[in-house]
Amino acid sequence: MRRVEALEILADATADLPVVVTCAATSRELAAVADRPNHLYLLDAMGLAGSVATGLALAVADAPVERVVAIEGDGSLLMNPNVLPTGGHLRPRKLLMVLLDNAVYGSTADLPTYAAGLDLGGVAAACGWAVRRADDPGTLRRAFAEARAADGPVLLHVRIAPGNAPDVPRLLEDPVVLGRRFRDWLAERA
Amino acid sequence: MTSPEPPAYAGAVARGLWDAGADLIGYVPSASVAPVIDALVAADGGARGSSARVFPLSREEEAMGVLGALPLAGGFGAVVMQDNGFGNALTALTTFNAAYHLPLLVVANTRGGLGEYNSMIHTFGQHVPGLLDRVGLRTFELDRRSGPEDWHAVVAEAGAHARMTFRPVVVLAHFWATDGRGA
Ligand SMILES: [Mg+2]
Repeated sequence: MRRVEALEILADATADLPVVVTCAATSRELAAVADRPNHLYLLDAMGLAGSVATGLALAVADAPVERVVAIEGDGSLLMNPNVLPTGGHLRPRKLLMVLLDNAVYGSTADLPTYAAGLDLGGVAAACGWAVRRADDPGTLRRAFAEARAADGPVLLHVRIAPGNAPDVPRLLEDPVVLGRRFRDWLAERA
Repeated sequence: MTSPEPPAYAGAVARGLWDAGADLIGYVPSASVAPVIDALVAADGGARGSSARVFPLSREEEAMGVLGALPLAGGFGAVVMQDNGFGNALTALTTFNAAYHLPLLVVANTRGGLGEYNSMIHTFGQHVPGLLDRVGLRTFELDRRSGPEDWHAVVAEAGAHARMTFRPVVVLAHFWATDGRGA
């Protein structure tokens, strides 16, 4: 399964949820699949998607928002692995992190990450996260529905193939506009 | 069990953080801010470093992400830390909090100045005000020359300033020669 295929499934499944997306190719591809105000694209804040989603999940703990979804990559999670022990400690019930793991730094020349030999789902489990797994479109649809129904913190560990989708336009919007658009969307629900 | 009264300056910082309008406060430990954390936790009905609204984090970078996200949900966060952690936090502070115009209050004790015992920590701490200024982050500094009531007022108003300017704002607290611990 390519990243963009996984993102098509995730976009379908998250139209009513706030989604924080890691930077570079993942944000660009998700925006190309569906550019919606419930998406918060982190254009350059490396490794921060899980932390931002953690803060949002705490902030909406008592609001009528079902889950806060982070879409993270393996290289990016390895850059800020604190997300896992912090989630295990704070236990944000609404936090659902989808890890798109291709075992390479997809936005930096496909150099390998540790994930080739390291089970990040296992690391999350050791930190106290509920872990679901998927590796093709069918299991991703099913596992996302399960993960959404489970109390967080939940990590949905998705194995994907390396490689970026061709001809995806750059995401050139002002981050202030992107943030405001997301905030306004969330304010109508929270 | 009743908590002992915090030192006056630490207590003033803690009251300032609540009066700044913080909904949640994350901290990265430091001996200088430990009495501030204790006062925050006690005021929030918690114990042993955590309460419903106060919690520890392992690194300053994640603190900027976790607490900095709150304005996206209509809230306001604060971070309590030590100034040498700004080295861990600058990319997050600039590419997330500042770039997305998200207000955040950061209160950091300073190291490496008067009263310091560690022979290397000034190599970073001395440059923190300049570094923060260079990346466009407003700082307000507090030291022994003003009393706890001033510290309280500055911390509280710094929160208002962060919201007014839609930016992270930093208060640098020099605890040397107060009733707190400078290093
Ligand atoms: Mg990757």
